[in-house]
Amino acid sequence: MLKLIARRLLQMVLIMAVVSLILFVVFDSDKFKKQIATAELGGFSVAAMSDHDYQKWLKDKGLDVPVYERYAQWVGGLLQGDFGKSFEKNAPVSKVMGERLLNTGILAFWVFALMIPLSLIFGIVAGMKEGSFQDRSVSFIAVFTTSIPEIATAILLTVFIGLGLGWLPAKSAMTGGWNSVELILPVLTLVLYDFGYVARMTRASMAEVMTSQYIRTAVLKGIPYARVIMRHALRNALIAPFTVIVLQLNWLLSGVVVVEVFFQFNGFGKMLLEAALFGDVYVIQAATLVAVFVAVLSQIISDVGYTFLNPRIRFS
Amino acid sequence: MSFLKPRKDDHPKVHEAYEVMQDGRMDRREFVRVAALVGVSAGAAYAMAGIPSPAWALENSPFPADDPKAKKGGKLRVGMQVQKMEDSATYNWVEMSNQSRHVVEYLSMTGPDNITRPMLAESWTPSKDLKTWTFKLRKGVMWHNGEELVADHVVWNIKRWLTPGLGTSNVGLATFGSMRKDSGKKDAKGKPIMVGIENAVEALDKHTVRFNLSKPVLSVPEDCYHYPAAILHPSFKKPLSDNLIGTGPYEMVELEVGKKCVLRRITKMKNGKPFTYWGGAVYLDEIQYFNFSSENQLAALASNSVDAINEFSIEQMALATSLPIDIHPARTARTLCLRMQISKKPFDNHKLRQALVTAADNAKIKNLVYPKGGDVGQNHHVAPVHPEYFPLPPLKRDVAKAKKLLAEAGYPNGIELTIDVGNTDGPWHQTVCEALRDQVKEAGINLKINVMPASKYWEVWDKTPFGATAWTHRALGTMVMGLGYRTGVPWNETHFASKEFDDALSDAEATFDVEERRKKMEKVQKLLQDAAVMVLPLFRPVYNASAKKVNGYLMHPTGFHQFNKVWVA
Repeated sequence: MLKLIARRLLQMVLIMAVVSLILFVVFDSDKFKKQIATAELGGFSVAAMSDHDYQKWLKDKGLDVPVYERYAQWVGGLLQGDFGKSFEKNAPVSKVMGERLLNTGILAFWVFALMIPLSLIFGIVAGMKEGSFQDRSVSFIAVFTTSIPEIATAILLTVFIGLGLGWLPAKSAMTGGWNSVELILPVLTLVLYDFGYVARMTRASMAEVMTSQYIRTAVLKGIPYARVIMRHALRNALIAPFTVIVLQLNWLLSGVVVVEVFFQFNGFGKMLLEAALFGDVYVIQAATLVAVFVAVLSQIISDVGYTFLNPRIRFS
Repeated sequence: MSFLKPRKDDHPKVHEAYEVMQDGRMDRREFVRVAALVGVSAGAAYAMAGIPSPAWALENSPFPADDPKAKKGGKLRVGMQVQKMEDSATYNWVEMSNQSRHVVEYLSMTGPDNITRPMLAESWTPSKDLKTWTFKLRKGVMWHNGEELVADHVVWNIKRWLTPGLGTSNVGLATFGSMRKDSGKKDAKGKPIMVGIENAVEALDKHTVRFNLSKPVLSVPEDCYHYPAAILHPSFKKPLSDNLIGTGPYEMVELEVGKKCVLRRITKMKNGKPFTYWGGAVYLDEIQYFNFSSENQLAALASNSVDAINEFSIEQMALATSLPIDIHPARTARTLCLRMQISKKPFDNHKLRQALVTAADNAKIKNLVYPKGGDVGQNHHVAPVHPEYFPLPPLKRDVAKAKKLLAEAGYPNGIELTIDVGNTDGPWHQTVCEALRDQVKEAGINLKINVMPASKYWEVWDKTPFGATAWTHRALGTMVMGLGYRTGVPWNETHFASKEFDDALSDAEATFDVEERRKKMEKVQKLLQDAAVMVLPLFRPVYNASAKKVNGYLMHPTGFHQFNKVWVA
C-alpha cells in the first residue's frame, strides 16, 4: 500500500513538472504576452503602442526574459513556497489562492454534507426493490435534477427563491462579511445537479448486489430484511458510489466555475476563469498544480478506500 | 435669472460664441459648454446664456450644491467590477478610475450636464489660436501627505504621460498628442518613436502651468478629465494601490482585486494635521465597492447586497423596472460599430460594403434592442447628442438595390461573411449582429457570427476583417471622428483613408462657431457614410440604479462616479 502511495506521489510530481513546463512555454508565446498586455492596458492602448513601447512594457513586466530563465526562477521560488505574483490581482498568488481555496473548500464541504447522505439514502431505497414505485420515483427525480444544467438550476432558484420570494440572497459575494445564508443557493444548485448522478450510481450498485446469490440465500434463510440490507448488501453496494463520490472532489474544485461565477462567489473556480481570461500565468500555474494535487489525492483516497471496502482487491 | 454679457477680458471665443448665440445660431446649452471650455466660470456662463443654473453649477466649484436635507455619515455600497490599480495613467477601464476618483483628482471635471469645470485648476485661459493654454491652480489644495499641490507636480504628471513605453491612452487625445513629436528614430517594425516636445508643458510659477501645443485644440479641458489623466503625487511608485496619495476627500483603506475596494473619508494628513478638503462638504464616511460583474449587479441590488450599482444593461430593464429602486438613465454617444476593414478582402470591394449597409435597417435594429431611448445611427459615428451633429436624410433599407450592388461587386449568387463579436458591453452586441444577419440574408449575404470572450475580442479588434467594436461616449463628434477615422491614426480600425475626409474634418475641428461647424460636418459625415465602412445602427442610452435610500446618485454619460454630494438616508 505504501508503495502504491509513493508511486502515485511520484507520478504527481512528474505530472506537475510536465504540465507547468508546457504551460510556461505556451504562455511565453507572443500571442499570450499580447493577451496580458491587452488585459493590462486595454485594446485601445495596445493598438496605439509602437513596437518600441511594447518592448519596453515587456521589460518592465519581466516578460522579456527567456522562458527557461523565468521557469527556473519560478521553480526556485516554488521550492521556497513562493508561487509568484498575480498580474491581475497585484498580490502574491499564495494569498489569493489560499483564500479562494478555503472558500471553495467550505462550499464543497456543505455540498458533500448534504449530497452524500441524500444520494446514498435515495439510491439504496431505490435499488432495494428494482422496478418498484419508490425506485421509479427516485430514478425520475434523479434523472430530472441531473439533466438540468447547473446554470439553469441556478437561474430558476435565483428567480423563484432569491428574487421572487425574497427568502434568500440572490448573490453570494459576502459583501457584509462571511454569511452562511448566502451559501445556500449555490450549495442547493450543486446538490441538485450532483445528487441524481450519485443516487443513480448507488441505485445501480445496490440493485446489482440485491440480485446476487448470497443476498438471496440470506433472505431465504429467514434473516430479517433490514438486517440483510444493513449487514450484507450495503457494504458491497457502497464500493462503486464511494469511488464516484471521491472523484467528485475534482469536480467541486475546478468544475464549479459556472456556479461560482453565477453567484459571484469568490472561490477557486471563479479565480481560475478570471486568470484564464486575463492570461494571469502564475495564477494559472499554481491553480493547475493544486488541481493536479487534488486529482492525484482523490485517486489515492479512492484506491485506499477501495481496498478497505473490498478486501478481495489488492494492489501489487 | 441674471443676464450677463461677456467681459472685455474674456477670451475672444466667448464674445464670438455670445454673438452666435444671440443670432440664434447656437444652442444656449452649447454656449455654456463652449464658454466654460475657454475659461468662463459655469455660473457666469449660465447667466450669459440666460438660463437657470442647475444645482451643480456652483460658482468656483465643480460639484453640485450642498443638499440641506443631506444626512452626514454612513456607507455607500456600490456593485462594480473591482480591478487592480497599477498606474492611473494606464487605466483601461473606467471602473479602475472610479476606485481612485475620490482620492486622486483631475485638473478639470465634466459634470453629468456635459459642462467641463475647473477642478484642481482654478481657471484656464487659452490663447487666441488655441495652441497655448494657461492653467491657474487652486491655492491651498493639500496632498494627503501634508504637501501643497503646486505647478511642478502637474508638469511632472504630464511629462510622465509623454514618456515612450508607458502605454497611456492619454497620448491618443488631441491635447497630449499635440505635446509629442517624431523622434526621427524608428522601432523594429519601422514605426516612428514618438517623444514629448521639450517645454510642451511648463510651470510658470508655483500655481501656474502652461501647455504649449503643436496645433490648435479646443477640447483641452475635456481631455484633462479623461479617466487616466488623474494628477498623482510625484512620489508615485507602482502599484498605485500601495502608494495612493491624493488630494481628494477619501483615502483608500482596502483593495482586494476581484473582491472589494474601500474608501474612507480622510480627516488627518500623514503629518497628523487635520485635513481640510478644498471642495467643501462630502457626506459619506465610506464608499465600498464590491466586485460584481455587470450582469450580476442588478440582482445584487435586488437582494440588498449593495445600495447602488455601476451599470445595468438593456436586457435587464424588465427586471429593473419591477424592483423598488431608482433608475438613472443618460443619453450618450456610446455605440457599436459593425465595421469592415477596407484594406482586407473581400471588404476592399466598395460595392460589397454598399450592398451590406443597404440591406441593413438601422432603425429596426435600434428599436429591437433599445425600444425606448437611444438614437438611430447613420453609419458615420456622429451622434444626435453631439453639438455639431448634422442630420443627414434617414437611411432606407433597399433589398433589391443591395442585391444589384452585390451582383455588381462580383457576387451574383451571394456571399458568406463572418463577423467577430466579443459582447464587450453586454449580450446586446450579439443581438445586433443577429438582427443584421437576418436582414442581410434576404439580399443574399449569409452572415456568420463568431462569438468570442470580451478579452479575446480586444486582442483582435483592430485586426479582424469584420468585427463589432464598442466605442464609448465622447463629448464632440469631431473628437471621435479624429480618433477613429483620420488616415493612419492608431484607432482607425476600418483602415479608412481619405484626404478629402481628413481635410474636411480638420476644417470642422478648427471652426469654433458650432452652426458653421455643423454645416461642415455634413460633408464629413456624408463622406464616411458613403464609404460604407460600417453598419452603425444605434447610439445607446446607459442606465444605473440605486436603492430608494440613496440620494444624489446620477448616471454620468461616461460612467464616472462623482459621489461628493451623495448621501444615504
